[in-house]
Amino acid sequence: MTVYDIVKSRLKEIPHNEKLLSLKYESLDYDNSENQLFLEEERRMSHMGFRCLEIRRWVICGLIGFLTGLIACLIDIAVEELAGYKYSAVKQNIEKFTEFGGLSISLILWAALNSAFVMVGAIAVAFFEPIAAGSGIPQIKCYLNGVKIPCVVRLKTLAIKVFGVICSVAGGLAVGKEGPMIHSGAVVAAGVSQGRSTSLKKDFKIFEYFRRDTEKRDFVSAGAAAGVSAAFGAPVGGVLFSLEEGASFWNQMLTWRIFFASMISTFTLNFFLSIYHGKPGELSSPGLINFGLELTLEYIPFESFLFFPYYFPGGMLGALFNVINYWLTIFRIRYIHRPCLQVMEAMLVAAVTATVAFAMIYFSNDCQPLGQDSTEEYPLQLFCADGEYNSMATAFFNTPERSVRSLFHNPPGSYNPLTLGVFTLVYFVLAVWTYGLTVSAGVFIPSLLIGAAWGRLFGILLSTITSSQSIWADPGKYALIGAAAQLGGIVRMTLSLTVIMVEATGNVTYGFPIMLVLMTAKIVGDYFIEGLYDIHIKLQSVPFLHWDAPPTSHWLTAREVMSSPVTCFNRVERVGRIVDVLSNTSTNHNGFPVVAHTTENEEPGKICGLILRSQLIVLLKHKVFVERASSRLSQRRLQLKDFRDAYPRFPPIQSIHVSQDERECMMDLNEFMNPTPYTVPQETSLPRVFKLFRALGLRHLVVVDDENRVVGLVTRKDLARYHLGKDGLEELQLAQT
Amino acid sequence: MDLSAKFTFVIACWAVTFITVADCAIYPSETSGDSARKLPSAVIPVSQPSTLGSFYSLSLSSTFPEDLNEYCIELLRIYRQRYVAYANCLVTYARPVKVCQNCYTGFNSLDGIYKNISSDQPGPGNISCHDSLMRSDRLMLLYALFNKLDEIWTSAKCKQCLSKDQEALSNDTVYFMATLNQSLSCFEQYQRNHTELCKDCKASYRKLKELYGSMDKNQTLCIDLEDAMNITQQLWSKNFSCLLPREETVPVIAVSSFMLFLPIIFYLSSFLHSEQKKRKLIHPKRAKSSNSLMNIQDKFN
Repeated sequence: MTVYDIVKSRLKEIPHNEKLLSLKYESLDYDNSENQLFLEEERRMSHMGFRCLEIRRWVICGLIGFLTGLIACLIDIAVEELAGYKYSAVKQNIEKFTEFGGLSISLILWAALNSAFVMVGAIAVAFFEPIAAGSGIPQIKCYLNGVKIPCVVRLKTLAIKVFGVICSVAGGLAVGKEGPMIHSGAVVAAGVSQGRSTSLKKDFKIFEYFRRDTEKRDFVSAGAAAGVSAAFGAPVGGVLFSLEEGASFWNQMLTWRIFFASMISTFTLNFFLSIYHGKPGELSSPGLINFGLELTLEYIPFESFLFFPYYFPGGMLGALFNVINYWLTIFRIRYIHRPCLQVMEAMLVAAVTATVAFAMIYFSNDCQPLGQDSTEEYPLQLFCADGEYNSMATAFFNTPERSVRSLFHNPPGSYNPLTLGVFTLVYFVLAVWTYGLTVSAGVFIPSLLIGAAWGRLFGILLSTITSSQSIWADPGKYALIGAAAQLGGIVRMTLSLTVIMVEATGNVTYGFPIMLVLMTAKIVGDYFIEGLYDIHIKLQSVPFLHWDAPPTSHWLTAREVMSSPVTCFNRVERVGRIVDVLSNTSTNHNGFPVVAHTTENEEPGKICGLILRSQLIVLLKHKVFVERASSRLSQRRLQLKDFRDAYPRFPPIQSIHVSQDERECMMDLNEFMNPTPYTVPQETSLPRVFKLFRALGLRHLVVVDDENRVVGLVTRKDLARYHLGKDGLEELQLAQT
Repeated sequence: MDLSAKFTFVIACWAVTFITVADCAIYPSETSGDSARKLPSAVIPVSQPSTLGSFYSLSLSSTFPEDLNEYCIELLRIYRQRYVAYANCLVTYARPVKVCQNCYTGFNSLDGIYKNISSDQPGPGNISCHDSLMRSDRLMLLYALFNKLDEIWTSAKCKQCLSKDQEALSNDTVYFMATLNQSLSCFEQYQRNHTELCKDCKASYRKLKELYGSMDKNQTLCIDLEDAMNITQQLWSKNFSCLLPREETVPVIAVSSFMLFLPIIFYLSSFLHSEQKKRKLIHPKRAKSSNSLMNIQDKFN
């Protein structure tokens, strides 16, 4: 590198944008290293041993489901209690001041309570575990895609996530607790399957065989499914979510196990919540959100097509949501990156949410009589006649879940169109503004709420236009279709979302219109911008591999895609060189081809195998040097278990002390390297490389010439940088973040 | 031929066995004595209901040897009287609802006779009228009639307004009535001038409301009180329009706009003062030294 280059690279600093790939993210090692240690272990293991492994997998899945259900239960109860406390305090205050004056004090009290809750949650997230911010679905998606996101499946993250989501929902933000459940389930899965916690420094010495990325990934997908299942009471939807959003790799048995975990999770939640509600054995709350919808089944078949006014707004409003949130997120990454600013922003949003809600309620003239079967927990009378309550308050003075429920559930005539229109508008703005704050919170419920509001509004308008009252009488179903359309327009899930909605309503008959609505929402929305989760993945500069290589990329060959030259090791390498290469912070490579014979700076050698940084570090730590071989005879031989014990946090190279004498020793890599890494010839096209890489979950793909000599190495970042832009193929740039 | 005959025989045998078995399974009581009376009504749909109708129509009653016995007929008569009296009471006090206060004696007596009939304890002469009156036919009229009225009584929550033995109105109810009457008489006084009414009756009305609220919590409300309260509330809010004034619009707007102003300041100041986050670009090692984007351009040209 010349001096000029160094200067140039230093000068090249650009503001954060979506067209970057961060160096921070690495791949997971899904590919099994079939070295001699592995073969030995397999030989030692009996047939019975493999059977036991299978049984253990089932036990783990059961545990995952159980614990996820418990966590969901904990979140639900905590939110209910805290929000109940808050709303009854504010309600009392408002009632007192309505008569004697001083309502602005109630407003300040409400705003202050909201901010206080949110502040606690935001501090926990911003200062202790920033990765716990947001819904966590993008992160889990990345993890299952094969990207190692630092800290994403740690116990600490789980604790902060659960605490944060309780605070933010109780703090009255326009958020839901469903998205974080998916992340929580994934963390539980990663923790349970390893049988230890590095955060707590506790090793239970069980499930040691599963301490590998491949095994962990399968369990994490089960955990994500269990999370969805607990959130919506949708076990099948959970499995499909895992398949659609995450697991790029699955088989029949795994799917069946994931389903098992999902079922256990929803049942556990149901069981414990029924005890909490004082009706043990009734089992009436399979999910965190219950639509509690008794739909009239008499929708006429052609009504599915009459739902067409719902097809387009879903996609368009979803796209609008995503565009605004995209710009907001860029602004946040560029300017609001300090933790204290982030906490302040979250508090402000909470205060403004309360203020806007209060103003809406204050100026609303929509009064409805208190019914016998009304589900309102905190009806506010304010300036309504005695025996009536403020209709705007049912939508705003409530946790979002309850608001969704009342939009679906309340009998016709509970809302007047103006209330719904204003509510939709205001809540849309609040929800866009809220998603992406440094609090842990999901986007499902606010989306459902916006959709339910405008859906119900349309339903009311339709019934005023048409004369035949009987068909249009039930605005609940329009709210449902609207909610599905809006959510589909924002997150762009298809199959799994349809099944989740059907399961959450418990009504298969409405599957058809819901499917049509989601389909159109996706098509219309994709015309403008991608789904919200994909946007956030992009903005995080994650090297995410989609299902296929971008089209029109067949002319690119491995030669242009690969990184070159490659740092290689000899089969028997000097310790000093290994340490030097590993300590080089500017390169920070993770995989090294092992070649037959290499002389410095000359022709590359023939490939013999591939060795990983983590393996080298374990070898250095145990001082497996050729010169020590004689003395090592007395010692135990190195086993695969030693590598697993260090997983997943291998110590950095700086922490390993290598003396000057030892630097001159030699290390024999033959036994430890993967002797048969995947290779491709230089002329392979990009889609072909991509397919191999994506389907096998590779981390390194060696590019060889016609004499099997190493010429380059393809990694995730080399592939992820190509994407289809406005004018053809574009390339993302690597950046330090 | 032989074979087919055998086959038919086997089938016939099988059918006979099957039918016998089925009969036994369906009507197990048949095997015991006293079969005629206990046959399920579905088997002889005409006979049994008409027994009860024998009072009024020319019927086949004389053809049935075992008629209802005197005691049961007497019970039935009492039931009829009390039922009519109670239903009469209910309809009389339907609007405005005053059923609990006025009909509880009627309900209690009806309940008494119903319990008497439905109890399995035999009356004089060792006869139980339970089966003959209540369960002899599929209509089960006495049961259905009582059940409906009992349902109404339960959903009206009348029990909550009555004393423990259900024999009198509870003290709470009486007190509430008195308080209600106070308010109503106050309303009457100021019938002409609504603004005066709103001011002067406020105290008694609020007392009433508070009492109602506390009774709601203690679950000592019944439909009578709820309805009375509802009407009073409507009088107060709609007829006399004693609504709370919306006086604080200015302070609420002021506080709200201050709150809405805060984020604008926040975003502006962080935009102006916060250091923009920059990303350092890294140049990856490539086979060709030139930037690959250049490659793309070359290929396209």
